[in-house]
Amino acid sequence: MRNYENLVIVKPTLTAEEIQAHVKAIEEVITSNGGEIIATSPMGMRKLAYPIEKNERGYYHVIYSSIAPSAITEIERRFRINEDLLRFVTIKYDTNREIAAFNGMVEKAKKAAEVPAKVETPAVEEAPTEAPAVETAAPVATEAAAE
Amino acid sequence: MPEKRKYKKRYCKYCEAKVDFMDYKDAGALRFSLSERYKIMPRRLTGNCKRHQDMISIVIKRARAAALVPYTVTRKQVVVAPFENLK
Repeated sequence: MRNYENLVIVKPTLTAEEIQAHVKAIEEVITSNGGEIIATSPMGMRKLAYPIEKNERGYYHVIYSSIAPSAITEIERRFRINEDLLRFVTIKYDTNREIAAFNGMVEKAKKAAEVPAKVETPAVEEAPTEAPAVETAAPVATEAAAE
Repeated sequence: MPEKRKYKKRYCKYCEAKVDFMDYKDAGALRFSLSERYKIMPRRLTGNCKRHQDMISIVIKRARAAALVPYTVTRKQVVVAPFENLK
């Protein structure tokens, strides 16, 4: 078993649920081929640097997994058949240095997966603080206009 | 009389920061070694050491395959898609 990272770009024209279903199907391709998913990190909808199949945007999803090297060709073949997959990039993490970086990224991805529940509360707190700032700014603007 | 040095002494930015591994997903960090037209900058201009230049060139090529960094920028695109994508 070796550590791999799969970055997949799913078509942006699908609905959110369809995209999630596709991501699940992609992960299943890996698990069904004897791979073990360690962590995933959704990068979300992003603008592509160049259009792929006339799509300007794409849904990025990164899967960190340990897969037997012989299974990679089969997984990539399955990816190629999938028409809703715009692009996939498979990266091998082999040397000690790379594995250390891989573990670091896995931890980051795991933390990011845990955080959203915690982030929600500060986000709510931030909203009111922003609102007064706008209020204070508004009178100044009106004063300036009055002058 | 020794010849006057024409340029600043070059140093490798990545050696300074002790970079061991570069992540191709972090497109903003690749900016330093890319030109305005997203070409890979040569070592003689950036001052990168050989080891880090090899690393960055591989990483940039990966990022290009993943559509995080463009391969080329044409005249039209230069105006339309500048740096917003690399943040």
